[in-house]
Amino acid sequence: MTTTLTTRKLPPSTHPFADVVHRLEAGGSMLPDTPENLMQIIGLYKAYAVPMDFYWRDLLYIAEQVFVDPLPFFKFIIPEEYLKLANHYAGDNADLRIWRGQATAHPELLEFMEKGELKRKLPRILHHLWHDRINMEFAEECMRAMLWHRDMGGLLDPYMDSEEYKQNADRAIRAYCQGNPLLMGLYKLFPDMFLELCRQATMYSVLGLFWEVMAPVFFEISDLYDEGKITSVPEAMNFLVNGIFAIAGRPIYHRVRIRGEWYDIVPKSKGFTWLYEAAFPYVEAVFYRTSPFRGTKSYNAQANEVPTNQLDFHYGILYADKFPVGTAGIPPTLLHQDMYHFLPQYLVEYYRKHCRGEEDMLIQLGVSFQRSMYNVTSAVIQAGRAAFLYPLDDPNPRHLMMNRRYFEGQLNRFTRPEYGIREAARLAYIQDQNYR
Amino acid sequence: MPDIVDIAVSAEGFSTLVTAVKAANLVDTLKSPGPFTVFAPTDAAFAKLPPGTITTLVQNIPQLTRILCYHVVPGRLKKADLAKYQSVGSVEGSPIDLTIEGDVFEVNNATVIQADIEADNGIIHVIDTVILMRPHWFWPIMNSALAASARG
Repeated sequence: MTTTLTTRKLPPSTHPFADVVHRLEAGGSMLPDTPENLMQIIGLYKAYAVPMDFYWRDLLYIAEQVFVDPLPFFKFIIPEEYLKLANHYAGDNADLRIWRGQATAHPELLEFMEKGELKRKLPRILHHLWHDRINMEFAEECMRAMLWHRDMGGLLDPYMDSEEYKQNADRAIRAYCQGNPLLMGLYKLFPDMFLELCRQATMYSVLGLFWEVMAPVFFEISDLYDEGKITSVPEAMNFLVNGIFAIAGRPIYHRVRIRGEWYDIVPKSKGFTWLYEAAFPYVEAVFYRTSPFRGTKSYNAQANEVPTNQLDFHYGILYADKFPVGTAGIPPTLLHQDMYHFLPQYLVEYYRKHCRGEEDMLIQLGVSFQRSMYNVTSAVIQAGRAAFLYPLDDPNPRHLMMNRRYFEGQLNRFTRPEYGIREAARLAYIQDQNYR
Repeated sequence: MPDIVDIAVSAEGFSTLVTAVKAANLVDTLKSPGPFTVFAPTDAAFAKLPPGTITTLVQNIPQLTRILCYHVVPGRLKKADLAKYQSVGSVEGSPIDLTIEGDVFEVNNATVIQADIEADNGIIHVIDTVILMRPHWFWPIMNSALAASARG
């Protein structure tokens, strides 16, 4: 119905990704709607949600309690209280129940934390040192990308440079250093370093609060698929769009607990929201930009291989070359390793039948993950269209043309020749089912 | 003459807006001398928001206040006054884009369905869609040109 309306009112797009433009205009995703794609992306949402349930809890622990510790050796050893922390969007007492499951840590996560890949119950520190654990390094890479790129919209970014923020930070840092002359001395010597550590802690909190929402969204979408209630890629995308809108107004804040007392660094009363201060900057920093990874590919900044303008960074999942990236010990590989532990059986069977079967499962799941994140990005693009522009079945051709400008503008990001952006973008690849 | 709040309360079709303004403790502000220009979404405009959006906002008053403040512009601005600008700054801080040509009177993606309602302390324009802040990257995306080498 919408397709007919749009095509009748507008001439066909002449964009290099015209097919994708027309699909977006018809309410679809950048990812083609095939049962195989649907199975891959839902399986990956499930596999991502379990480690994400650890990430958001540990991120909040670091933001709220590790705070500006200059030597945070045990920041990944999450205390029990954060595993029991009730997710605001799951469980019986949720603010808004997105997942029908429990509010505390997911049972599969707890089982893995106890026994790990070794399937043996050992002290957690031994699992940790053996690297048989959930890898927080990936979560920290995302946090650092958000902190480093900055200025991606929203009011939190300028707030972190304000006098008010600095005063809040100073009060909390002084309280944190109280009774520790060495730490207090360090703070007096290097106040800016501690302020920057505080900004980093704020970004830990922002990402934790962001993922606290996404974990139940992904658990629920996976359950709905298992129940046969999500049957197409656009349905999966629209579930995400509705989730984005439902939670858009969730407060984004940062508070620190020092000796039992809470200190506000970014108070809830500032009115910062999940959509503007967390979701949009997250997508920009993590899906598009991030930073050049250490891996098998080296970037030569002097040869102009790394953009001078941060806006042109293109090292996110939407541009990732899964093969070489998947061969080095770098954050995305650690994420793949985390997801590998929680793959649904149907995906394990699927990967066994393709490429090198068990041997290259991390790469195969990495490509599925890329497909799933193109679908999340599509949901964000459609949510942006719904929030800032017009319905897809709007009767006014001028409005439909504005929607098209927006969709084409978004896709232009994948066609730019500078720094090999066009070659790196995987939008064309994911149109083909044989890309794996 | 009645003030902005009196008009919204007495007119039909603004019960969601009135409830939201009360919840956000903005009644006294909108009864103050101002003056303000208010883009007032109808109940039908609020009903277009996906389920859950309002629930979350009502649970979080500072966030609700921010969205409502985006619908308010300082000053007494009728359609003819607004027609001189491409955008105006809201009380929230972000700009509101204006499209005013002949019969067309749009603010962001909302259409003004009744303009220039005079109140004692300002002007009300009734809109058919709740407007949301467009981030600073919105227009660069809209105006991005396709690289010449990417075509064909």
